[in-house]
Amino acid sequence: MIAGLALLLLATQGPAAPPAKLAASLARLFGPGVRSDTTRVDTTTVLRVSRGDSLLGFAAVGNVIGKDQPITFLVAIGPDDRLKDIDILVYREPYGGEVAYEAWRRQFRGARVTDSLRVGKEIRSISGATISVHAVTLGVRRLLADLTAWHATGAIR
Amino acid sequence: MRSLFGWAVCCALVTTGGRRLDCQERTTVGGYGEVHYANATGPNTPGRATLRRFVVYLAHSFDDRLSFRSELEVEDARVEPGGRAGELEIEQAFLDYRLADWLTLRTGLVLVPVGIINETHEPPTFNGVARPGFDNDVLPTTWREIGIGAAGAIPGGGVSYRVYLVNGLRAQGFAAGEGIREGRQEGQDATFANPSLTGRLEWARPGLKLGGSFWYGGSAAADSVLGSGTFDAPIALVSADARYDKGAVSLRAVVANISVKDAGAIDARYGTAVGSRIAGGYVEGAYNLLHALAPGSSQKLNAFVRHERYDTHADVPAGVTRDASLARRMTTLGLTYKPTWNTAFKGDYQLVRNAGGVGEHEVLSLGVGYQF
Repeated sequence: MIAGLALLLLATQGPAAPPAKLAASLARLFGPGVRSDTTRVDTTTVLRVSRGDSLLGFAAVGNVIGKDQPITFLVAIGPDDRLKDIDILVYREPYGGEVAYEAWRRQFRGARVTDSLRVGKEIRSISGATISVHAVTLGVRRLLADLTAWHATGAIR
Repeated sequence: MRSLFGWAVCCALVTTGGRRLDCQERTTVGGYGEVHYANATGPNTPGRATLRRFVVYLAHSFDDRLSFRSELEVEDARVEPGGRAGELEIEQAFLDYRLADWLTLRTGLVLVPVGIINETHEPPTFNGVARPGFDNDVLPTTWREIGIGAAGAIPGGGVSYRVYLVNGLRAQGFAAGEGIREGRQEGQDATFANPSLTGRLEWARPGLKLGGSFWYGGSAAADSVLGSGTFDAPIALVSADARYDKGAVSLRAVVANISVKDAGAIDARYGTAVGSRIAGGYVEGAYNLLHALAPGSSQKLNAFVRHERYDTHADVPAGVTRDASLARRMTTLGLTYKPTWNTAFKGDYQLVRNAGGVGEHEVLSLGVGYQF
């Protein structure tokens, strides 16, 4: 159901996620066998995830620069605009890979665009991963804001 | 980290073409540095200021898996033949080949993965103007050697590792006061007579990181007296560290034990008076005053206290007299103001003591540090 070509198109800014990793991430977040359709909004490709007639949510892939390498991550929201989860799809730095740990990622779950997501406040940092923690947190805030805004305007539905 | 034009061009092609290109080559520059001012108590000790470190970080990614990283460092601002202090050195220069999240192959001049400061040494990452004395005299930061190894995160989450095979230490450089420090070869025509193994395991959660490190290898450097075997004059180092942050509070602690098995023979050969065991550690607590004074601020004003205890003569071999002044105690009180997470203005007052009561003094230090 997930067209390989669509997956290759997903990350428009910076490197793309490997299709297998993206598929695995969607399966983890929304369950197996979901349908995903791509919509293009501005320069971002958004995945609309559904099963049957019911909308499960939206996901988009972004890139932020860590110390010097792009970190490719995914942000998924539910139909209620609450952040379902984030995923680190590709991590390329020699240090700071702790941002991919479940214990760190889960701090974002349930967040809405109106919620404050600041490093050292709502989002606890990890020593030795400070640069990546700041970069990914900023990237998640941006993508969550974009997805929420597009959902509100009907650009994605 | 400043991304150069290569990446911008790449992005433009990807975006405008509407088709993903496998063009990933990019070069980045960054850096860190620190200026120190220190004034010790006592007669004839005027304050001194130095541009302690100026480091240029240069990295290049050849494709999505293969990348190069380096740090070029000038210590104390100026290097001239026969001049004072200054050093020009490569602090790290290695290639990474990323095969999977759990396996990156690494080779080149790498940072030895022991303790906290050695791998994470950018000035805004630690309190206090100067690095802890422990991170000079026990763990010889910045410790780097040439070798090959692997790094990655163990699947399942929470644990990462690094393990390298590198050139060994040279016993000839060992000393009573600074232990193994000048035994480092630092990538300069290093003898590989005693390949050494070093590694680290880290367990992390938000706010908490625990680490354990080791180094094992000979230090004879094919010296005819100390031996030509791979593990002759072995150095065995173990170290553990912890970092914890919650709200306004941050804590860190490091301990290490270094065994210099053939210290007697090394001392007889080179007159180094190195101890047969070097041990110690420190604990540090900090409280972010802005947490209470300005709760909404992302800036930090850390008040901290650090207590270090270490002895480079924890044990001495027969024939070496134990020097009580090497059993050091240092207490450092200070403030670190961080307007951003990667800049720091520092001030501290250090009480330098030792079991022998020799040359005890206090030092007032001021400094600034940055990284980007």
